[in-house]
Amino acid sequence: MAAPATTEAFSNLSYSMFSLLLILFACVELGDAASAVHVYRLIQYDLGGVPLGSRISHLNHHATSLPLDPNADLSRSALLVPLLDLDLDLSFLTDYITRKKPLGGLLILLPQKLGNKFADFGKHVDLTRLKTVLHQLEDLLVHAELPYPVYFAYESSTFDTLLGDIRGKNFSSQPATSTNGGYKLVVSTPEAKKLSPPTISNFQGWLPGQKDGDSEQLPTIAIVASYDTFGAAPALSVGSDSNGSGVAALLEIARLFSRLYSNPKTRGKYNLLFGLTSGGPYNYNGTQKWLRSFDQRVREGIDYAICLNSVGSWENDLWMHVSKPPENVYIKEIYDGFSEVAQDMGFSINVKHKKINISNPRVAWEHEQFSRFRVTALTLSGLSAAPEFLQSTGNLHDTRKSADEKAVARTVKLVAESLARQIYGHKGKKIDIFADGSSLAVNVHHIRSWLDLLSRTPRVAPFLSKNNPFIAALKKELSDHTVEVHVQNEVLDGAFTFYDSTEATLNIYQVAGVTFDFLFLMVLGSYLIVLFSFLVITTRGLDDLINIFRRPAVRKSKSA
Amino acid sequence: MTLFHFVNCALLTFGPHVVYYSATPLSEYDTMGTSIKAAVVYLLTALIKLVCLATFLKVPENEGFDPYQEVMKVLIGLVDVAGLYFALTQLTHRNISQNHKFQAVGLGWAFADSVLHRLAPLWIGARGLEFTWEYIFQGLEANANLVMTLSLAALGSLMWLRKNKPRTLVPIIYACAFLLATMPSITSYLRKALEWQTREVVGFEIFSSLVMAFFSWQLFSACQRPL
Repeated sequence: MAAPATTEAFSNLSYSMFSLLLILFACVELGDAASAVHVYRLIQYDLGGVPLGSRISHLNHHATSLPLDPNADLSRSALLVPLLDLDLDLSFLTDYITRKKPLGGLLILLPQKLGNKFADFGKHVDLTRLKTVLHQLEDLLVHAELPYPVYFAYESSTFDTLLGDIRGKNFSSQPATSTNGGYKLVVSTPEAKKLSPPTISNFQGWLPGQKDGDSEQLPTIAIVASYDTFGAAPALSVGSDSNGSGVAALLEIARLFSRLYSNPKTRGKYNLLFGLTSGGPYNYNGTQKWLRSFDQRVREGIDYAICLNSVGSWENDLWMHVSKPPENVYIKEIYDGFSEVAQDMGFSINVKHKKINISNPRVAWEHEQFSRFRVTALTLSGLSAAPEFLQSTGNLHDTRKSADEKAVARTVKLVAESLARQIYGHKGKKIDIFADGSSLAVNVHHIRSWLDLLSRTPRVAPFLSKNNPFIAALKKELSDHTVEVHVQNEVLDGAFTFYDSTEATLNIYQVAGVTFDFLFLMVLGSYLIVLFSFLVITTRGLDDLINIFRRPAVRKSKSA
Repeated sequence: MTLFHFVNCALLTFGPHVVYYSATPLSEYDTMGTSIKAAVVYLLTALIKLVCLATFLKVPENEGFDPYQEVMKVLIGLVDVAGLYFALTQLTHRNISQNHKFQAVGLGWAFADSVLHRLAPLWIGARGLEFTWEYIFQGLEANANLVMTLSLAALGSLMWLRKNKPRTLVPIIYACAFLLATMPSITSYLRKALEWQTREVVGFEIFSSLVMAFFSWQLFSACQRPL
């Protein structure tokens, strides 16, 4: 009877000792020091009083990752999601967001190929599939109210090891909490404050034509592009194609015509007006303000306006979007001019008509603002369909690689050639004014250097102050090629309120958990007690040790 | 929560000194004064060592093990021994037996060493969120250091305070003392030249301190016998 009981007791004891040791070692491994990573915050804004985006910027939670139990409580965890895995797990995230389930924080890892620094390195990525997933994700995040911090970061070896560790622990089906230990993600920034209404700066420059001597006003042709962006992560919203390509094309056209117009013999009988507008993503509010600031005579003198939007990503088809019907005489004339040149260059240009609805405040293309002021206008774009509100305005995937300088160069040649044929009266003739290799050739390096600069500069209007060096660079470039450069600073209309705090530093700590500390304390306590007893026994003898515990009893007996 | 970790590591680093004082007859004979005097002597010795190091050593260009520099460090380490000699012999102690004298001096010495070298890193580092094993290793090192200092003090008292020692044991005593005095150089050699990890070095320190303590104890009791 005794023997099985003792073996049972012994096995129980050894089992509990083993599990104790296992917990001790499971709590923490031999760790390395904390890491700090640069992270970019999701935009926080109010639209018509409705709060949208990520409402909190401070993060201090344990890291966890997918795959997870669908009923797990994530209100005190920060979810770490690599984008490359997301196309399988987007449903999980969508579910969480649309059902407004509580979450401690969200950190989305972008592949390095999207970044500017490491775009040539990093794992191989299928960019088209990535684009769809990113679009869906951005749509989801930008139009939802998320009462927790959401950050974007680029993948790196730090995150790879972190994810590996977390996923290994997930197999014990326990998300890390303060008792278990694990990794803690901390972003300590103050809460985001409201920004004052953003200033939008519109630039204009003129190339005046050659008057014949009589005082009649010359007609004007306007070339316009909007330069600001809007995206899910304002610090990453560089919009290389939308609309960096438009800006680069406009500057190159300005450069070419300034060469022609600098010589009085080659000055045409048209004025050229170049406009760089801001406020594009917000229904082209800046363009409206710019047009409103014009004298009515000047506005009436504009024959037509060419707006450039996303001209860096097309291959064989360019679209001409109009709001007047294509049968309209003026539109037909312009279209014929373009398609003539396009045919010579080897691609096709298609017309797309979209009627304006005056009662609908949505302005999908920049030319619609001109049309509301009864100025003939069109938009040249590589996009075939009108983008939705806050779409295609500088999304996460729209980085340097999505804008091809050769496509921009082709657009420049098309516009410049058609304009020149009209201005100098060479319509219908087989002539190549801006021939390759000539002194008027389209300079691809100029386009490339501007695309590079634009891809390095996030241009979300509330975060682009009018003292920003980029604004000064635009002004200088325009002044180099045109005259009467004027900057119009306005305040953005409408129901947008923005909040600051777009970038932060994330600290990753490996923490031990309270359980570990308690266990260690117990081990330490027993070590000290053993040491004490050992020393007492060796120096004073065993009786002294026993006497320490019996002293009160001895005294009582003595006094009694 | 990490203040908890700081408290744990502090207990590990300084606890044994307190336990030693209270467990052995040292507390009964009130040798606190001796320990405090020994701690002050350690402070002065440390200052002298710092000045010597600054004067004689040059800044190393590479991380490797430079024999000449290490020999210089050993020689300066002997300043330590001189300090111990001073504390054992020159300070006027009250009438406490030789047995307790070396223990009190050793304890004060080791406690000052721990406080000077380990308290500041502990306060600054162990309270952060990030967990590392570093401070636990430091505490274990402090324990090993206590044992080694006690052994060195024992051998020192044998060398300088006891006049009649058995002839044969004298060279062994001096050899053990030399070994203990050069222990810091040995550990730095292990760390830099052989590139041992921290836990291996700490393990070695604990093992060697126990071995040396055993030897010193044997020598001490061997020298007790004629009396």
